[in-house]
This record gives sequence, C-alpha cells and structure tokens, in this order.
Amino acid sequence: MRGQQDYLAYRPRPFRKEERSKVTLLYGGLTWKHERLLQGALENMGYRAKPLPQIERKDLDIGKEFVDVGACCPTTFTAGNLARTLETLKKEEGEDGVKENYVFVTVGACGPCRFGQYHESYERVLEGLNLREFRMYLLDLMRMEQAVEGGGLEINTPLTLGLFMGMFLGDLITDMEYSTRPYEKEQGKTDKVVEESIQILYEALKNRPLRGKKWGNLLWHLFTDYFTKALKEVKKLWDEVEVDRLQPKPKVKITGEFWLQTHEGEGNYNIKRWLEREGAEVIPPPVAVWMDYLIHMEIFKLEDAKPFVKGYFLKKTVATLVAYLYRRTYDRLRKALGNIPNPLPSQRELRRLAEPYFHYRLTGGEGHMLIGKALYALKHKQAHMICELSPYGCLPNTMSVGAMAKVLADYPHLLYAPIEVKGDAEVHALSRCQMVLTEAKKRAKEEFYQVLEMTGLTLERIREFEEDNPHIRRATYHVPRYGFVGTAANYVYHVAQLMRGRR
Amino acid sequence: MSFLTSLTLLKRRPSGTERKSREWVKVGIPRFLNVWGTAPFWTAFFQSLGVGKVVFSSETSEEQYRTYGKGRVTMDSCYPVKALAGHIGELLHKDINLLVVPMIYSLPSFLKGYVQDTLSCTRVMMAPENIKAGFLREGDEFAKRGIRYVSPFVPFGEPELLPLYLYRALRSAIEDITMEEVKLAVEEGFKALREFDRKARELSLKIIRWCTTNNRPAVLILARPYHMDPGIGHEIDAEFQLLGYPVLWYNYLPLEDWLLNWLFGKDVEEGRIRHPLDISDVWTSSYSSNTNEIIWGAKFGSRLPWITAVIRLSSYECGMDQPTFTPVQRIVESSGTMFFKFGELDETKPSGSVRIRVETIAYYLQQYSQKIIEAKLKRLPPVPHQLVVY
Ligand code: SF4
Ligand code: SF4
Repeated sequence: MRGQQDYLAYRPRPFRKEERSKVTLLYGGLTWKHERLLQGALENMGYRAKPLPQIERKDLDIGKEFVDVGACCPTTFTAGNLARTLETLKKEEGEDGVKENYVFVTVGACGPCRFGQYHESYERVLEGLNLREFRMYLLDLMRMEQAVEGGGLEINTPLTLGLFMGMFLGDLITDMEYSTRPYEKEQGKTDKVVEESIQILYEALKNRPLRGKKWGNLLWHLFTDYFTKALKEVKKLWDEVEVDRLQPKPKVKITGEFWLQTHEGEGNYNIKRWLEREGAEVIPPPVAVWMDYLIHMEIFKLEDAKPFVKGYFLKKTVATLVAYLYRRTYDRLRKALGNIPNPLPSQRELRRLAEPYFHYRLTGGEGHMLIGKALYALKHKQAHMICELSPYGCLPNTMSVGAMAKVLADYPHLLYAPIEVKGDAEVHALSRCQMVLTEAKKRAKEEFYQVLEMTGLTLERIREFEEDNPHIRRATYHVPRYGFVGTAANYVYHVAQLMRGRR
Repeated sequence: MSFLTSLTLLKRRPSGTERKSREWVKVGIPRFLNVWGTAPFWTAFFQSLGVGKVVFSSETSEEQYRTYGKGRVTMDSCYPVKALAGHIGELLHKDINLLVVPMIYSLPSFLKGYVQDTLSCTRVMMAPENIKAGFLREGDEFAKRGIRYVSPFVPFGEPELLPLYLYRALRSAIEDITMEEVKLAVEEGFKALREFDRKARELSLKIIRWCTTNNRPAVLILARPYHMDPGIGHEIDAEFQLLGYPVLWYNYLPLEDWLLNWLFGKDVEEGRIRHPLDISDVWTSSYSSNTNEIIWGAKFGSRLPWITAVIRLSSYECGMDQPTFTPVQRIVESSGTMFFKFGELDETKPSGSVRIRVETIAYYLQQYSQKIIEAKLKRLPPVPHQLVVY
C-alpha cells in the first residue's frame, strides 16, 4: 500500500532571476495580435516570451486524451494546445530542454466556473506527458503586483501596465480590422495593414521607455503621447486602405464566453471570418470590456457594502478614478485612430439593461453582460444581429442563454443566434447562424434602400461624389452614426449631409 | 410555542423589532440545488418574519419534472438545474402566495478561512434566472396564479451583506418589512443552521464511534449536497445501508479538534498544511465551496481507518466535478482506501445497474475492509480514547 503523502497538488519549482535570460515564457489564449503585443511588453521588461501556436482543430482531440471527461470546450482546446506545444518542444529540445528552458504562464480569475481551475487540466497534461518537472505558473488576473517563487517572473506595475497597453492596442487594431475588411477595395490589403500595424506597435511596446517604478510609471502611461504617436504612424497605413462602404451588410455583434468570443481560429469554427465571407460585418468583442467589467464588479460590490466598509468614500473615489482612467486611456488611443474603433460600453448601462433578467452579482463567465450586451446593441442600434458563442459544457453560459428566452419574448425584434461550439459540429452550428443571418441581411438591405429613398440619392450620384472627395473612401474616414444600424445606411445619409454642405 | 419560550424570544428581540404576524404570507421554496444544506436557515428565517407557513416542494422525481417542468427549460444543462423547473411548477399548484427562489451565490462553509472562497457553482447561483425565463416567456405564470415571485441574491459567505440583499428582494412582496427584522431573521436562520449542522455532525461521530468500537467499516459519500435528494442521487447511499454498511456524508463529518488532530496532526507538524482544515496541499484553486468540501472529505476519508470505501456521486454534465475527478480519486486511493464512482447521474434512476454495482462494492468491502483498517491504523498515532465507547 502506498503512503498518504503520495498525492500532492502540483507545485512548480522556483524560477530564479538568474534564469530569466535563458528561459522562455510560454503563454496563450488570445488572438495572435494581442499575443504578439504582449510579447513586446514582456520583452521590454527583459523576458524571453513566446505565444503558444495558434489553436487547431486537432488540439481538441489531443486535449481530450489528457483531461478528465466533461471539460468545457475552451479548457479542452487550450489543454490540447499546451500538450501539442510541449510535445513538439520535447522532440526538438529533449525532455530536459523543455523543463529547463521554458515555463508556461496562465492567468486565473476568482473563478467559480472552470476559468479558475484551468490549471487543474493543464496539470493533467503535464502528468500525461511525464513532465511534472515542467514549470507552470498561475497568475491572478486582478493583481497589479505578484511574483513567482524565485523571482524569475515579477509582475510589477510597469509590466502590468505594459500588458494592459498591449491588450488595448490589440483590441483597437482588431476593431479597425473588422470594420475595414468587409469593405476593402483591394482584397487582402486589410490583413497586410493589420500585420504591419501590429509590428509597429510591437516595436513600440518592446522599446517602451521605463519611466518610474510605481506611481511615476502609472502617471507616465496616463499622460504620455508615446503610444498615441505610434498609433498615428499606424493610422497612416490605414489611411491608404480604400473602402467601398456602399455595400449593405448586416452587422453581427459577437458575444459569448470570453475565450470563445475573443478567439480567431479553429477553436470557434473561424466564425468571424466565416461571417465575413457570408457577407457580414463583424463587431468583435474587445478584451478591454471584460477587464472593465471586472473593475466595475468591484465598484458595485463596494457600493452594496457601503455601511460595512471602512473608509468607504476614499475607496469609492479610488475605484471610480481607476475606472475613469481606464476608459480615458482607451478613448485617447481610439482617438489616435480617428475614433474608428468602438467605444467601451457603459458598464452601468449594461447592468441596468440586464437587471430584469439577470442579477449583476451573479459572476462567472460573462455574468449579466451577455444579456446586457445584446440589449445594448439593440438599444444603440449597434448591430443587426447577435451571435453568441457558447462553449459546449460551459457552466455560466448555459444559464444566461436560458435567461435570454424571456429577453427574446420581450424584444421579439432582436435577432439572436446562440451557437454552441463543440469543435466537431461545425456544419450544424454554422447553418443555425446562417438562418438568422439571412434575416439580418434582409434588414440591412431594407434599411439601406430606405435611406437611399429618404435622401433621394442614387448609387451613381454617390459614386460621383466619392470621385470628387476620395478622402471619404479611406478606412480611417469617420462616418458619424445617424441612428441607422448598417455602415452603408449611415454612409449614404452622411454623404447626403455632405452634399448639402452639412455634416 | 410555550408561553415561556415566547417570552424568551421576545426578550431577545431589540426594541422596535417585535415579531409581526404575517399569517397571510404563504411562502413556497423549491427544494433544489443548495437549498439542500441550507433549508434550516430558510425555515427559521421566514418563521422569524412571522409568515403564515413555509412550504417546500417535494423531492425531485421524474414524474415531477414531467408533469410540471417539461417545456420550461430552454437550454441543456445538468439535471439538478433542469429539475428546478419541476419544483417551481409544482409549487405553482400549492397553496402559496410568495415563491422564493434563492440565488445562492456563496455558502456558509466550515472551511471558510482556510480556503480562497466559498462560492457556489455558477449554475447553482444562476439557475433561478435561467429557469424563471421558462415561466415568463409566454406570459407571467406566477402572476396568473396570484403568486409573487422573489429571487433574492444570497451571499452566505458575506453575512453582513446577506440581510441587505434579502431585504431588497422581499420588500416588493412584504411591504411592511424592515431591515432590522430581516437582520434578526438572518441571525435566527444562521442559528438554526448551526444547530442542524451540529446535530448532523454529532450523528456522524456516533457512527464513527460505533465503527471504532465494533471494528466495522463505513462508506463515505462524496457528492454535492443535493445528491441527498432521492431524485438526484438516486438513493445510492441507502443501498449500502440496506446491506449493513453505515454511510457518512462528507458535508457532515465530525470536526472535533481531538479527531482532526489525530488524523491531520502529522501533516500540520510537518508544515504541509497550516491547519487540519487546510486543503492547499492537494487543491490550489479553492474557490468553490462544495468542491473544497469534497476535497477535504476525500482527505478525511483517506485518513480515517474505518472509512474503507469512498463513493463518488456526480451528475451528468457536471462541470464543477470534472476537474476534481483525478485529484479526488488519487487522494483517496493513495491511502489504500477503495474508490468507486457513480458518474453521469441523470433523471432516470439506473436501479438495476446500481444494485449490481453496490453488491459488487459490498463484496470488496467484505473482502478488504479489515486489511484496509489495519493498514490505515498503522500510519496513525494510537486511537484517541474519545473514539472508543465502552
Ligand atoms: S466560462 Fe464556461 S467555457 Fe469558460 S472556463 Fe468557465 S465553464 Fe469553461
Ligand atoms: S455543481 Fe455540477 S451538478 Fe451542480 S449545478 Fe453545478 S454543474 Fe450542475
């Protein structure tokens, strides 16, 4: 009989400071753009860093081999991706090479769902590969400062802020990308410019000057024009992208579970690209919204606990200031890109909209935001349709999808396509989406022709006007919103205004 | 209530908070998810508010779901969540005018202070919002029957905030309710819960003493509290009892210091854990209350000599159990204790196969229990005198 001490939770060996120069940090879970920018922020702080390879369909099968049955699809995909990476590295550099030269860093949140327990599945991977000596570190998403044992990885204010910047910049370029590609005149141009933009911003992050340690560093990030300058460089590239906005396309807002909605690739059937191929304009979900949500949840909790919190007013002021500065920073960066990327939605409004259907303190996954975002899009005429990506086996998502039944009864006009992503039921999922998309297309077209009629314009007239005013065909030309959903409809109305000499 | 008792109760209530009589309020509470394990709180809470009566729905059953719940569920989920539709539907046919469906966000866990948090499963806390939609989308089924639907947010882990959320939810249904009253009712609820907990743990200790004295094996169940519901756990525990094996539930194990020190003292001494209730040696993301307790239960079961088999119950599609499967089994088996899992439990009771498996397990219990007890005893200091009943 074996001894009781046999089972112990996985604890990584220390990662010493001296090892920093030869050890590569592996990480993943976001889009290639975000990951590349985070790489810049990490390298800036003297780390060697490398994102995991892009998720592939086979990662799901690999993941299933290692983790216990019943894991949600993001857990399985990411566990499989890690396993594939470590196996490849093992082949290339041998077992010792993997153990000594790489560490894997993942984040957890105070997760009542499996998000806070991802690493349990990763541990199964390490065991399965006989790599328990490999070092994997779980960081807390909500802490500005933390370090792993040995000090090899120190999350301090400059690094955290660098990572935040990387996240923001990744979001903004993604917004530019999705609002441009469906209308690009020259096929492939947007993708090329995205790549070039990311490279410029990666360099900017990598060469970021390190000013101050804590407060000084924070102030520098808040007031510097270092990043806005880099974005202005980037904007010049986008200025060169010509678009044809006279195409009525349904706007599809992507919501859903965090990993799945952010992901771009085989983990979610490449649904964003698929939607574009089907003639839609996609509104991608910025990572920044989720972080904003986490900040606001702290504020909401604080407000509820007011009578019991010592120094309430001070704490509330600090928390509100953090939320304000967060948004302000995002907005400053948006502005540098001509305000083409979408602003962050108001978290208070999301909460208020979702309130009758979902309590704001029910956390886990996206909480009340799934409902809030859908109603926000409807109210602000942001999208013709919501495509909600639900991972198979997700705990919180199934609950909000159920609660949507009442929302749909109250707002029958809302086009809503909840898509369950399993990894192996692509045709089924996409055809469900297709059905709702057909209706969304119809609405986009109707709206477009209504605006043409309303303004008395013809396509030919607008084209002529464009010939004389080519700048309005730039991807960076900001078309105001006039209460229509579609880009084309707002554009026609805008051109009409311009023709009349008003904006 | 006797005259003397009523006097005592009145004496303890601060002035201005005399118990109001609200005979007209007839409360219905579904017997679902984490209402199992917190029911004494709810009964005492509403009694303290002076309501006319508190009615719980019946235990979960296939029939209940078929009759009252079908068609109300709009998504796929684990059965304990779906079953809520049957409970709510059934209560709509009872003599009630206030339906209270708590969104239990966190739990009053005995591990609090030794773990990161004591949260419920996200589905547990969100289930009411999800199932409610099924009763509202084609017209308000509650209003049609003159029933007020109230779904308070319930953070048992934040006791100072609990009265606030309960008050906010209830004031729409009971207009004259005051915050002071709710505070007091919460206190009484906690008192009742503590008392129930104490008694249940006392009974477990009694079982363990009997096992010690008679050198007999017991079976430990690791599950979610609602697997005590015959319609969810399918009475697998009772099958063992029928065969003469005492059954212990992980959530009501005795917590006497002398017992925990006997079982975990060495680990504390060696610095592996800070306290017998610390689980950080085997489980590092200790956010979920029931999961934490299951993990601790596995540790307890792996150490207590007379627990020779641990039975794991888990519902089909349970995402919270999934990451725990391997650790729990390994914790239990590392001491030579036998481990058996009844996974994927659904609405249908697999009677035949359950019986066959229980009989097989009973065979192993009979064959190996004595050896397991001896081996486990060898690793521990002498049996504490408090365990042996002469
Ligand atoms: S939100 Fe859902 S999919 Fe994401 S980690 Fe949690 S359970 Fe898995
Ligand atoms: S713990 Fe498991 S069975 Fe219980 S509600 Fe959550 S997912 Fe369902």
